[in-house]
Amino acid sequence: MLRMPEFRVHRARSAQEAVELWHGLGGAEGRGKDAVWSAMYLAGGTDLLPNIKHRLFTPKHLISLELPQPQIVDEGDFLRIDAGVKLQALADHPLIQATLPPLASAAGKVAGPQIRRMGTIGGNVLLDTRCLFYNQTESWRQALGYCLKKEGTWCHVVGGPKTCVAAQSSDCVPVLLALNARLRLTGPSGERELSLRELYRYNGFDHLTLTPGELLTAVRVPKPAPGFRGLYHKLRTRGSIDFPELSVAVTGAWEGDAPSSLEIVIGAINPQPKPVKGLDEWLGRPLTDEGIEAITTLVHKATRPQGSIIGDPDWRRAMAGVFTRRALLELRAASA
Amino acid sequence: MKTLLPLRVNGETHELAVHQHWSLLEALRYELGLTGSKQGCDKGDCGACTVLRDGEPVLACCTLAATCEGSEITTIEGVADKDGPHPIQRAFDVCGALQCGFCQPGMILSAKALLDRCPQPTDEQLREALGGNLCRCTGYTKIFEAVRLAAKGLDRQSPVRYGEPAEGFLVLGARGRKADSISKATGEAIYTDDITLPRMAHGKILRSPHAHARIRAIRTERAEALPGVYAVLVGSELPTPYCVIPWTPDETALAIDKVRYVGDAVAAVAAVDEDTAIKALALIEVDYEVLPAAVEPEDALKEGAPLIHETDWKGRPRQDNVCKEVALDFGDVDANLAASAAVVSGEWFYEGSNHAAIEPHCALATFNPDGQLTIWSATQVPHYLHRELSRVLGLPTSKIRVIQPVLGGAFGGKSEPFDLEFCSAALSRKANRPVKILYTREEVFYSHRGRHPMLMKMTLGADADGTLKAVDSDVLIDGGAYHSFGMVTTYYAGQLLTGPVDMASYRFKSKRVYTNKPCCGPKRGHGSVQPRFAFECGLDELAEKLHLDPIQIRRKNALQSGQRTVNGQLVPSTGLNACLDAVEQSSGWKERHGKLPYGRGLGVACSMYISGTAYPIYPNEMPQSAVQVKADRSGRLTILCGASDIGQGSDGMLAYILAEETGILPDDIVVVSSDTDLTPVDLGAYSSRVTFMCGTAAQEAGRKLRQKLIGGVAGAWKLPEERIGVALGFLYDKDEPGRQITSKEAIWLAEAAYGPLGEVGAYRTRKLGGDYRGGSIGASPAYSTTAHVAEVSVDPETGQVKVEKVWAAHDCGRALNPQLVEGQIEGSVYMGLAEAIMEAHTFREGGLHLGPNLLDYRIPTSVETPDILTHIIETIDPGGPYGAKEAGEGPLHPIIPAIANAIFDAVGVRLRRIPFTPARVLAAIGQAEAARLASK
Repeated sequence: MLRMPEFRVHRARSAQEAVELWHGLGGAEGRGKDAVWSAMYLAGGTDLLPNIKHRLFTPKHLISLELPQPQIVDEGDFLRIDAGVKLQALADHPLIQATLPPLASAAGKVAGPQIRRMGTIGGNVLLDTRCLFYNQTESWRQALGYCLKKEGTWCHVVGGPKTCVAAQSSDCVPVLLALNARLRLTGPSGERELSLRELYRYNGFDHLTLTPGELLTAVRVPKPAPGFRGLYHKLRTRGSIDFPELSVAVTGAWEGDAPSSLEIVIGAINPQPKPVKGLDEWLGRPLTDEGIEAITTLVHKATRPQGSIIGDPDWRRAMAGVFTRRALLELRAASA
Repeated sequence: MKTLLPLRVNGETHELAVHQHWSLLEALRYELGLTGSKQGCDKGDCGACTVLRDGEPVLACCTLAATCEGSEITTIEGVADKDGPHPIQRAFDVCGALQCGFCQPGMILSAKALLDRCPQPTDEQLREALGGNLCRCTGYTKIFEAVRLAAKGLDRQSPVRYGEPAEGFLVLGARGRKADSISKATGEAIYTDDITLPRMAHGKILRSPHAHARIRAIRTERAEALPGVYAVLVGSELPTPYCVIPWTPDETALAIDKVRYVGDAVAAVAAVDEDTAIKALALIEVDYEVLPAAVEPEDALKEGAPLIHETDWKGRPRQDNVCKEVALDFGDVDANLAASAAVVSGEWFYEGSNHAAIEPHCALATFNPDGQLTIWSATQVPHYLHRELSRVLGLPTSKIRVIQPVLGGAFGGKSEPFDLEFCSAALSRKANRPVKILYTREEVFYSHRGRHPMLMKMTLGADADGTLKAVDSDVLIDGGAYHSFGMVTTYYAGQLLTGPVDMASYRFKSKRVYTNKPCCGPKRGHGSVQPRFAFECGLDELAEKLHLDPIQIRRKNALQSGQRTVNGQLVPSTGLNACLDAVEQSSGWKERHGKLPYGRGLGVACSMYISGTAYPIYPNEMPQSAVQVKADRSGRLTILCGASDIGQGSDGMLAYILAEETGILPDDIVVVSSDTDLTPVDLGAYSSRVTFMCGTAAQEAGRKLRQKLIGGVAGAWKLPEERIGVALGFLYDKDEPGRQITSKEAIWLAEAAYGPLGEVGAYRTRKLGGDYRGGSIGASPAYSTTAHVAEVSVDPETGQVKVEKVWAAHDCGRALNPQLVEGQIEGSVYMGLAEAIMEAHTFREGGLHLGPNLLDYRIPTSVETPDILTHIIETIDPGGPYGAKEAGEGPLHPIIPAIANAIFDAVGVRLRRIPFTPARVLAAIGQAEAARLASK
């Protein structure tokens, strides 16, 4: 069996306790590809434990986050989703289904039934970037000669020594970005909030702007405006288990067939999910077939998938356009 | 360091000492002995380890035991209660939903969680809920059936039903349970990795990081010095080369001078636990001289290509990387092609694929103080393993006992000896303690022996009425680093194409080439699935050119029962036309083919496959299969047979046949199989030979025993033997049917008359095949035939192909147990369609596998597996037991070309390369569109 290296498990009952434990147990030195983790947080474990089995991380300590019953709470202008909420619970939650259907849809499309009952929304937001050359065993990566993201100096995807293009592969993140979600973080100096849009950067080996040791405690999603419609489309080979090969989230507020706001975010293409810019032009008037085609072209142009995950990049790029067109047609038709 | 953990499992609290870095799966299996939770993929990709945590299905392999305090864990062992198995477990048994059974504990727990939260699931909810549990045997069809039955409600107390037997039979033809399915459904079945022996050490194998390299030196001192290491083994200690085919040995247990692929075995370690063994591997220093590699067969054939093997198996220097070459021709192909009204010529490529049985290979070896080796191994050929262990270890076969425990799927992937079997035995000898080696999923992909990639140039010619005049085939076979069954593969790539569609002339060349990749071997439909794809696609194109219906062109050329193929194989029975009729009707072919809207299509294809082969791998005059039966005074029969039940149900098949002959109830028959100390030799579960050959042997033994039971009763009743009839559970006077005696009492009478009751039966291979060199390879005593229609939808914007439904008709001769036959057909369809649309065993330029795990190597889940409707066609074969033929491999072949042909019907493009990925389909649609525009 593929085994995990030795570590000790510590159980934290509050965010504060977890952060204190993390620092007390030696935290981490360095960041990104150079980080040496003495302690790491463990939530659902569905991303971290396979990565540990692959020896991508070899922490001495795991801090198991066992905070009291995580909840989904209506906070007025926001819905607060505690980081420990399981993905299946998120997908099934009546408030989410009623208020944020594309988020329920995305959470329900993560991996398979068991993983959705183990993995948390916090873990999904902070999912490590993925690459065919990275998510492999120690012996495989040794045979490869390692890669830029871990222990090596060369990116085998782009063929260069500088840029790591491992893909942000979360299903929920494109939707949360489209919805302008915010994150609540706990660190040694207390709590802070961060816009999700400021979390990711285009660097596969250090794609999160968090300070090491900061703990994500909740995702806060602004309640959508009246007339809200949204969709999440996931491209995958199988109807279950698989990570996205490409994902498209489309959200907005509509009046009949006219959008008053529109957000499109493309995921699973590179280290940073891609919010598509330049959509304002089509707001405030009925969205015509020509408009849909123009947006489709815009999305196609903006999408530059990398070969870091499976699926031919050119094909995945073409699919970004196809999915966008389909989503817009469906959303426009929803007015009827 | 271990710490004490209070863990609630199946309603009891256990004080467990566990390592903090242990998964829940390790704690359950290795500390609590709850081995019903299985390990299949190492890391959360397969679902075999599914348990319930507070009622929710979770993956035990990705859950830390140390975080489970306070949770209520339910494993498969906790699903049954004092009243017996849970209704879901019974439903799986009743419906034949268990084949190898390895994925089923996890599957049953996912199903239970579903029914607990949603007692009447829709079809979609059902498929979705099982989507995280991969099954490789069943095609999910009977699993869905079982969960639906459980949802409907199943009386827990009612006896397991048997259907009605075929007319004139006591048992055969009835839908019956499998002998071992309830033990699999309850997690009690013991697979190799479930066995633990006192003082057992754990072995690990060090593997090459290079595709091709010379080994200059191996230094093991540091590994040997590590505390907890018992023994380290290198190749020079086991220098005798081996191969499943005894005269082509080109492989050693561990590499000695050279490594030939990334993953080739170099050294092995036995240590107190796996963690220590892994640490020890890292301390072994191997000095490699990296050599240029030939990864693709085209490269391996180039002038000046690096020689992967410098000498052949006789020690003679090699000039090239050709492993085996065959060229045969029958009739005047050139003249017939020249005279054909239509000719189709093309190049098809068939990608390699792995068997991906959910159980990884595992072996456990131990020596007793007298030097007697016992090895439990997940093998489907105990007899060949027995022979090769003897050769490599230098031990007489009388000093070796091979036992095959319950096997978690094989499909050809466990049909030859592997490094772990030799290494566990040699390490056990060296360390003087039992040694177990369990492959990681990655090692399964390296050991491989999967489907050969084949590049096929094929030309077909026909008369205007569709009569097939000529087939010309040239096949380049990518063999990987070693021989395996290579010479058989090379023959099969040509010899098995000549039915069920007849052809006036045929020529083939096939060439198997060594490459620096994991070795290919036999996968379900060994050697013949690939050319069948090219041929059946070519036939479809011929029909198109000649404006013939694709079913009609096949019917037109159907071989007839008793006819010889163009290459001289006698086909005693063939049911092609009945198969075609069945799928034509049930698929609505006439009304729908060619008439569906753009994006939707139907395709047909057919095939023929062997029921065992005349060729016994090593030449000998002994029977290919033998059965011993004993009857005892309790009224029970015990059958001893070397046959390997790999999930297909051969143990049950033996029991049904003995029940049929003797009238003793199947539930009173014990089958002891695949243990070389206890059972007479059967050559193993390959070439679809088991039902035909073991079944015949069992029939013979059963008839002898039946005669003694009759004789015993006739003697006691002072009646002529002709007057004694045999029924299920009793014997009777035919003239006075009210006069009966139980089977048990009949055994007493027979034992009194004849002494202890024991009988034997055997199957001997007749001389078969064409009268030319190689004419016996691919010659079989009987052939099955199959026809499939596939319905696909193709999304012309994405290129995604969805197989909507499959109608599968298979002529297996007499269906001894139709439920098991259906299971084989459904599983074959599933495995073939997976190759058609998804699977690809592929490599980077340097020979590194692209993703040796069950996340990157995708096999279909319950969500995208279509409904499969099976038709069993029974063309009684004159040679088979009760007229039975094979069902396990033939039905895989046609699905791939049927899907290709359906894609053509849907969107008008011909795909000549598998898998039909959306990108390829979309590109083909784009090219067709561009060509259409250009021609305007």
